[in-house]
Amino acid sequence: MSLRLNVNGEDRFSAAEPLTPLVDVLRDEFHLTGAKIVCREGFCGACTVLLDGRSVMSCLVPVGLAADSEVRTVESLATDGVLSPLQLAMEQHDAVQCGMCFPGMLMSLTSFLERMPNPSRDDIKAALAGNICRCTGYERIVDAALSVVRAA
Amino acid sequence: MPGQDGERLYVATSLADALAALAERGRTASVLAGATWTMRAPLRHEPQDLSYVAISKIDELRRVEVLNHEISIGACVTHAELANALAFLPECSALVQAAGNSANPAIRNVATIGGNLCASAFAAADLVPALICLDAELEIARPDGSERLTVERFLEIRSDIEPGRLVRRVIVPRTKRRSAHIRLPLRKAGDYPVASVSLAATLGPTGIVESARLAVGSVEPVARRWPLLEAGLVGRALDPRHAAEQAERLCGDFSGRDGIEAPGWYRVKVLPSLVRRAVLALQEQS
Ligand code: FES
Ligand code: FES
Repeated sequence: MSLRLNVNGEDRFSAAEPLTPLVDVLRDEFHLTGAKIVCREGFCGACTVLLDGRSVMSCLVPVGLAADSEVRTVESLATDGVLSPLQLAMEQHDAVQCGMCFPGMLMSLTSFLERMPNPSRDDIKAALAGNICRCTGYERIVDAALSVVRAA
Repeated sequence: MPGQDGERLYVATSLADALAALAERGRTASVLAGATWTMRAPLRHEPQDLSYVAISKIDELRRVEVLNHEISIGACVTHAELANALAFLPECSALVQAAGNSANPAIRNVATIGGNLCASAFAAADLVPALICLDAELEIARPDGSERLTVERFLEIRSDIEPGRLVRRVIVPRTKRRSAHIRLPLRKAGDYPVASVSLAATLGPTGIVESARLAVGSVEPVARRWPLLEAGLVGRALDPRHAAEQAERLCGDFSGRDGIEAPGWYRVKVLPSLVRRAVLALQEQS
């Protein structure tokens, strides 16, 4: 039985066993390797994608429950090679180090800023509570997100 | 049979559909709500059940209804939806705080109230003590009808519930009370609580506590009330320091569970501080 998912605006079909974690289907079948697998436990946030507009840990979503839903991954953020304002801000603030956490950071922040366009620094930190970064110490990531808010 | 054609996941579209699918599969199937607990079964070295009946797409299980005398919360309402839906109701602060601060945002978008109640091996569940302090009940749907029982009773029997049944909704009675849920995670961000305290109290016109329900989560394997401390809170004004002193004296009522993140003695040791903060939170509500 084939499952239909709308991924980044495109209908895709998967024959995966329905309890397969969504992240594995995205990476192994659809070759969208932006979402990273780190803990598979819902703790690190590296696999964050948007499911019908809400951030989810794609390591804990069985693909069968994502059927007929809209999935957005980090690959959707840049259009025609032009970075999204958030991606651009991360680059300008020199916020990225190894990059492992970034696809998740970007997706959490993207959905958060869509919902709360005028957050405080603390709001942004709370929104990133599920995205762990082993490199940066977070402050520049938060600075970059705030700069997008202020520019808007 | 785990699904006639070997399918391991059946996505039910209505309550009747879910009950029929569960009846057909008998002991080989479990109910799946948000899936955040079940998907981690392999990490806990537990076998995943043979097949699952998913109930998270059933509209009636996703509704929160605020009525005059009670609030009805469908089993598949997520933590994020719950925190949002009840944010305007001060009497439910404990539940809003528990739902809005547990785990992390992406988990709260998926994990459900029904799942939180049914994950019997999950000692650190935040919603459970909050629901106990609010004197919540729940409704179990079965093929021939439904039954209603208190959350406390449900916790006693949840591991032995017969196949073919599912938690349909949680019911929180409405009273003019103050409540708070205080949790201590090791890191501020995204952790399970080492211990949590949920407190609800009704106050008389002069500020004397007329009734109190206090539940402790994450300290022992299953959240439970602290009756001796409740009795000590009643009949006097809210007094954080006095409450903490009483908690200190009564701490021997709990035997903490050892875990990777904290030893059992530590979970018990922090209780007086959490009690103090909970009473203070009630004092600050008007
Ligand atoms: S890999 Fe999904 S949260 Fe870490
Ligand atoms: S930049 Fe390396 S984990 Fe965040």
